[in-house]
Amino acid sequence: MTKAWIEDFKRAIFIAEKDVKIYFLKGPNLIFGLLLPVSLFLSFSIGRAVDISFATPGLVAIAAFFGAGAIQAIALPLERRTGTFNLLLTAPISLFAIVLGKALAGFIYGVILSLAYTAIMIPFAPLPNLPLFLLGILFSSFTFSAFGLLLSAPFRDIPQAMPPATVVRIAMIFISGVFIPLAAMPTFLQVVAYAMPLTYSVDLLRQAMGGLVNVQMLLVDLAAQVLFSVVFLAITVQVLKKNIE
Amino acid sequence: METAITVQGLTKRYPNVLAVDHISFEILKGEFFGFLGPNGAGKTTTINMLTGITKATEGKASILNHNLATEPVEAKEHIGVVPDTSNLYDEMTAWGNIIFCAKLHGVPKERREKRAKELLETVNLYDRRSDRVGTFSRGMKKRLMIAAALVHEPEILFMDEPTTGLDVQSAREIRGLIRELNRMGTTVFLTTHYLEEADVCCQRVAIIANGKIIAMDTPEKLKLGTQAQQAIEVSFDPAVNLDNLRGLSHVKDVVVAGDKFRLYVDDSSEALPFIFDFAKQNQLKIVSISTLKPTLEDAFVKLTGLRPELMTIEKEQMKPNEVKAND
Repeated sequence: MTKAWIEDFKRAIFIAEKDVKIYFLKGPNLIFGLLLPVSLFLSFSIGRAVDISFATPGLVAIAAFFGAGAIQAIALPLERRTGTFNLLLTAPISLFAIVLGKALAGFIYGVILSLAYTAIMIPFAPLPNLPLFLLGILFSSFTFSAFGLLLSAPFRDIPQAMPPATVVRIAMIFISGVFIPLAAMPTFLQVVAYAMPLTYSVDLLRQAMGGLVNVQMLLVDLAAQVLFSVVFLAITVQVLKKNIE
Repeated sequence: METAITVQGLTKRYPNVLAVDHISFEILKGEFFGFLGPNGAGKTTTINMLTGITKATEGKASILNHNLATEPVEAKEHIGVVPDTSNLYDEMTAWGNIIFCAKLHGVPKERREKRAKELLETVNLYDRRSDRVGTFSRGMKKRLMIAAALVHEPEILFMDEPTTGLDVQSAREIRGLIRELNRMGTTVFLTTHYLEEADVCCQRVAIIANGKIIAMDTPEKLKLGTQAQQAIEVSFDPAVNLDNLRGLSHVKDVVVAGDKFRLYVDDSSEALPFIFDFAKQNQLKIVSISTLKPTLEDAFVKLTGLRPELMTIEKEQMKPNEVKAND
């Protein structure tokens, strides 16, 4: 049993490796991944007095959010349209491992983009707790990759998958405390915000940036992201299973 | 002899279509089995259910005694799949695709490269191993798909229309390759609507129409079943109208076969004088005339009520479920 799980995991890694090579680390996709967060961020922050320590975690979180998630709206539907997804379905590998492989590919892409932004921002905004910040990047990238998969799972083509995924992501950015602190939001939006994975990611990164760590909140942030990841992957598997029925 | 594939009451129902309707069959280890039928008959849906691409609505299918519903991973370890359209990554090289497939099937690292080289040489693509698959012709992609499907040395090979749309040379090469694999012991499940291909390659064939298997036997036995109907192939100069031939005495049906007509008759010796009279009366020269032995195509026509060259249902012909199955 354990051997079968190890084999499944190894094959998930091979899928991730393949996805990273053929979809994620392509010049246009990397440029898209790098430009989109900064353009979104600038469109909101230009003309406002934005504190760099407040802004940096948001920017890095958006990089992970769009990097890890947005590319999934391309990779999975494209594979289903071109028929290459059938190659995976006919291989001796579980559907969960296929989904996990794809999530790992988005995770790697998200981590690369987030680290790129972190490297750019470090000279302007010192990072008192770099290990926690990196931990935040890892957790956030995986959660957002799983979320991207969930959003693209029902669709068999990119034009179908992109619009709903983009709308949901943009909406989430504005209610997850990236630009506006949660405390400044109306109560009902705060409730909605706590149902969003991005909220926990931003909070975790802000804690690392601020230097003062609230252990209880930190554990909540990490646990929430683990829970979101598990739920997103499980639903994605069920949606894909339903699609092949 | 051991069974390679067992199918019992397999059914696939989509919201508005019953694509496959309670089919059952067994395929023995080492057998070359053909699954024939027109487009939309249920061939690809069946192969998709047997390879894990889609799930059956009802029924059971097993691969080497591994139930596809309960032990899908174990079942898929034994199969190689060559679908009708490319399942390879255009962005990757031929070599990259083969290695990726080897990894997916758990081929050990030390064996992968050797196996990839062997297979690419077998399908004559080793010189193109570093080229992106997106630049390949349809025939080259098909050959590469076969190589990819064989990378883990599967005991059962599923092939969905492997020669459709290929030029004569590529089709012959692929046919030769599949026959050689079968000779070496691989069980082959081939879907095709090329009846001559099935006749030449398959030890046993099933004919499917409207989601139901309407006949299953060896090609020769299926042909024997149609022996009551004989055919005469004739070519006239100048060409004549098909409808004029339909009115000839003893002629049951007429089909255009290239520049010739194929006349289906009960008894060739009785029909021949009428054909000669027809030519004489219409001042036609008979360019060629021959009586034909029943072919698998004749069996197909008789059993399905379909014209293979048209692959459409003729209004006046009987529905497939009105024909008695031969199995």
